[in-house]
Amino acid sequence: MKISAKVGKFAAVVLAVGVGASLLAGCSSSNEQATEVTELTIYSGRSEEFIAPFFDQWQAESGIKLNIRYGDSAELAAQILEEGKNSPADLFLSQDAGSLGAVAAAELFTTLPDEVATSIPATYIAAKRQWVGVTGRARVFAYSPTLKTLPQSVTDLTSPAFKGILGIAPSNSSFQAFVTALINAEGEAAAEKWLKGLKSNGVKIYAKNSGIVEAIDKGEIQIGLVNHYYIWEVSEGLGREIKVKNGFFRAGDIGNLINVSGAGVLASSKKYSAAEDLINFLTSQKVQEDFVSKTHEYSLLAGATSPAGLPTLLEIGAPTIDLEALKNISVTQDLLVKVGLL
Amino acid sequence: MPTKIDVSSPRTPAAIGKGRSWREIALLAATALVVIFTLIPITYLAIRAFEKPLPEIFQLLFRDKTLEVVGRTTFLVLIVVAFNTIVGTILATGIFFVKLPFARYLIIPAILPLAIPSYVFTYTWLAIVPSLSGFFAASFILILTTMPYAVLATLIGLRRVDTGLIEVAQTLGLGRVQIFFRVIFPQIRLNISAGALLIGLYVMSDFGAVSLLNTETLTVSIQNMYKASYDRSAAAVIAMILILASAIFILLEERFKGSSKSSAIAKSYSVKTLLIEKISYRTTILALLTIYVALAVFAPFYVLISRFLGNPEPIEFSNLFSAALSTITVSGLGALIALLLSIPISIMNSKSEGAVARGAERIILISHALPGVVIGLALVSLGSKISALYQTTLLLAFAYSLLFLAKSVASTTASLKQVPTVLKDVAASLGKSSFRVATQVTLPLALPGIGLGALLVFLTAMKELPATLMLRPTGMETLATQIWSFASINRFNEAAPYALLLVLIAAVPTFLLSLPERLESQDRDTDQNRIRDLGESR
Amino acid sequence: MTSLDIAHLEVSFGSKKVIDDLSLSLKEGEIAALLGPSGCGKTTLLRAIAGLIQPNSGTIRFGAQLVGLSSVVLPPHRRGIGYVPQQGALFPHLSVAKNIAFGLDKKSHSKAEIEKIVSEMLELISMTGFEESQPSEISGGQQTRVALARALAVKPKMVLLDEPFSALDAQLRGELRSDVVSLLRAAGTTAILVTHDREEALVSADRVVLMRDGKIAQHGTPEEVYEHPVSPTVAMSTGDALVLAGVRYADGRTSSAVHPLTGEALSGEIGEVVIRPEELHLSTTASSNSVEGTVVKIDYYGHDAMLEVKLQKNSQSINVRIAAPVDFVVGSVVHVQHSGPIRFFAKN
Repeated sequence: MKISAKVGKFAAVVLAVGVGASLLAGCSSSNEQATEVTELTIYSGRSEEFIAPFFDQWQAESGIKLNIRYGDSAELAAQILEEGKNSPADLFLSQDAGSLGAVAAAELFTTLPDEVATSIPATYIAAKRQWVGVTGRARVFAYSPTLKTLPQSVTDLTSPAFKGILGIAPSNSSFQAFVTALINAEGEAAAEKWLKGLKSNGVKIYAKNSGIVEAIDKGEIQIGLVNHYYIWEVSEGLGREIKVKNGFFRAGDIGNLINVSGAGVLASSKKYSAAEDLINFLTSQKVQEDFVSKTHEYSLLAGATSPAGLPTLLEIGAPTIDLEALKNISVTQDLLVKVGLL
Repeated sequence: MPTKIDVSSPRTPAAIGKGRSWREIALLAATALVVIFTLIPITYLAIRAFEKPLPEIFQLLFRDKTLEVVGRTTFLVLIVVAFNTIVGTILATGIFFVKLPFARYLIIPAILPLAIPSYVFTYTWLAIVPSLSGFFAASFILILTTMPYAVLATLIGLRRVDTGLIEVAQTLGLGRVQIFFRVIFPQIRLNISAGALLIGLYVMSDFGAVSLLNTETLTVSIQNMYKASYDRSAAAVIAMILILASAIFILLEERFKGSSKSSAIAKSYSVKTLLIEKISYRTTILALLTIYVALAVFAPFYVLISRFLGNPEPIEFSNLFSAALSTITVSGLGALIALLLSIPISIMNSKSEGAVARGAERIILISHALPGVVIGLALVSLGSKISALYQTTLLLAFAYSLLFLAKSVASTTASLKQVPTVLKDVAASLGKSSFRVATQVTLPLALPGIGLGALLVFLTAMKELPATLMLRPTGMETLATQIWSFASINRFNEAAPYALLLVLIAAVPTFLLSLPERLESQDRDTDQNRIRDLGESR
Repeated sequence: MTSLDIAHLEVSFGSKKVIDDLSLSLKEGEIAALLGPSGCGKTTLLRAIAGLIQPNSGTIRFGAQLVGLSSVVLPPHRRGIGYVPQQGALFPHLSVAKNIAFGLDKKSHSKAEIEKIVSEMLELISMTGFEESQPSEISGGQQTRVALARALAVKPKMVLLDEPFSALDAQLRGELRSDVVSLLRAAGTTAILVTHDREEALVSADRVVLMRDGKIAQHGTPEEVYEHPVSPTVAMSTGDALVLAGVRYADGRTSSAVHPLTGEALSGEIGEVVIRPEELHLSTTASSNSVEGTVVKIDYYGHDAMLEVKLQKNSQSINVRIAAPVDFVVGSVVHVQHSGPIRFFAKN
């Protein structure tokens, strides 16, 4: 009877704890009134590590409790789409514009009044004002000081000068967003030609952007296509300086794509004024400056300082693209598979 | 005192005995309810899939990419199942029959990998071999993580082998290999195939390992479709392929298991006299075991521990413990619900092999191949409509029970079947109604096996990720979600304490699963009971 | 304690008829042995009486109470039948005392009463002191005793025993069997004992019921069944038998290999003669109705011996049982004489 006694006790303990906990969980489920807002539910595609301090700050200032659900932006967007009108989320904070576009396309966002996020330039706001950008995330090439020639355009990367020294992360959503922009701008055939060119030029594949930056630091490769903040992310992760710099293509080149993290208010939410208040908070001067100094992202405010050592958004000369058109990356993924990079 | 029956007005046959008693109807109703629950994800998929017009569905099904993914998934399943079935059987048989030092304890490291979630496993191996990627890498990882299923299943079969037959075969001059194939294998065939089934269904539903290794299986395809194109219809269509694939796999397994009715199981004599002492056997088995343990236990633990020690940040113990508590609570609740849901079907299955019972069991098995993302979204779809229930611990526990119901049903059914019919007959003759027989005889004897099934569900639920991410109450973190959230921003050192704690906690049920079952109540086989029912006495 | 009345019972499994138009009556307190080869339906009959299976047609009555009619069936837990299956089948998760007390209703018996009954039962089976033992700790014979005590504790109308001694060794069998029978007699319980052991049937029962192919071939007291079998097959079922070809003449004489014909051969019918080996006597001298033969084999059992004798006349071998000590050796020439009833069965 030894085993059944053990099992029995185990099960009894678990049962007791489980029933107790679920009863407690039931008690704690929110039950807000529409009049006085005490809680706000956020779906955040931005990771807790970076965004939580800002949320804590707003929570302290406004007195409104934040229930934050952290996850992957695209997965959260898919969840919101599935929840539809019944979504418990009030605000969706996404790490990229594509996810925002998907939710907007399903008409699940409220149209934001003009008074919200007045400081954000119109380029970084959805055409129908369903969402606003919060921070800028620039596509760059990270490079080692040993690199001889700097590319002027992404198209240069298929040339012999960059044979075998380039790294990309085809499974990464930022890379895929970039390729989507490329397809939208130049057409699928051109994109395919470029990708094939990379492949025959011996491009090295990495799973993650951070892997690319680490590889540059180690000397495995000399250049890689990543987002601008990774050199800080990697160096902070390793706890030391790394021998990697950010570089930009010439102004207007598609390689200088600037994606945004952004936020939108769910149409099903009854707490839009509180949510809009939070958006205003995130797009306020002070918080934007914090973004620059703490997470090294670009502030979207006109005239804001750029992250250390980098040109301002205006100076980069980003191509004009419709950020919302980046929402469907399945064509991109199919192309990458076709070419053999995925 | 016995009641007198008034024969002057005999009741019609439908009244007593021959007709359906209210108890039978209640059982059928309960089973139907469980089946309905199990069908929720499949129904969701069907609804979503058919939102697409039919020609588009066909185009999606037969385009090159889909066929390629199906092919890849099939090959992956075949390779992992074939390899693990063969090597797992060799390992289990070796541990059981070859004289090894600390033999009784060798089983523990062999099945310890069960405690490690596949994504943690893959992360640790990626730390060792950063360029690990692709189909063969995925096969490698999946082989390592699912080997314990094969070993455990075979071991359970071996413990019930009629060792008397082995001795007879020896006296007849059969060599060891011959004895294995002609005496042992037929007796454990059922168990081996059960292990193979579990492995195959798992490989089909795994997401963690394959996605990290850039191998697109059907599950990865489904996930990609949700994230890349937000095309839930397309994803649902692919998920239907997954269901079809698992249905085929299940039918194949039934074929293989086939008509091998296990012979009457006599009391097993002690294996001590049969232990093989030949050096070559001992070295082979030890070598195999060492290689496996090195790859599947030592390597991951080494990485986890060195990451843990290399962690510059102080550990936030309150987060750690609350995550651990949440994990244990919701997984335990899930195991309990799975147990309760499995009871009606297991009762039906143990009484008769009627069409209803078999059909219900098949549906449950097929759902077992569904990945967490599908079950998660199905319950998001349904649950979001019921705000009191949505994103509560209860709903998440329910999701776990749906995900892993098959495991509970399998062990509950087996445990109930193992209760000898003759004991139930005697109890009835002593005046116990069928309810009393169930509670005073069947249940106490079947409880250890049922408990083990619940343990397995508990263990698997602890490691679950995608459905947990979607359905957990906002603000609740489990060990799995914390690992994910650190790993997604490359903070592996900070993820390590959570990973280690998860593995340590999961090691407890894993250890309990490795203990031998009770043997006393296993003298008679259900088939033997059926033969008795036909009136043949021994 | 009640009597048992079975009338025209039929039990089929699918298309296979396992019990075919069977009728049987037992008086109150009678101990019956159901004897027959494997597959003859004896276990099925037992289970039908216990209510574990339902007959297709026919009736079963306990005393005046109808319990089994094809359209009216009393479930097994309301029949009040004690069931002792093969190998005892004790509940492995309960102690000996709890096993015995299992059928005692806690509502109608107080705890003290139950304890009393249990200790009485233990004394009855000479196992006082084994209250807390577990079934896995006691021997096979002890398990059977406990199973019997468990059945008797509820004062059943009838006890059904399904080859309860089959798993035990010979000496233990004999002892246990006589203990069990004494217990049953002392309690005056009607009982049915299923067995395939001929001796066991004859020794234990008041009434021997021979079953074959789902029917009752013959039933009666052990003597009736042994001495007056209704067919050669029945004769072989109840003991060693010699079935010899024979002829019965119009005047009542019978001839066979051991019954030499004296006088003229008149018309007669061909058939079989059944005699028992112990009815044959061996002598060194011939007599008027002896036949000559040679001893070819001697099986010595200690208390008696079975000799195989090859008859001179037709070289047929027959078995002869004689008491010890044995005065013959292999090769001895003997004269075989039969003294006993000549059971003739015409061939038709």
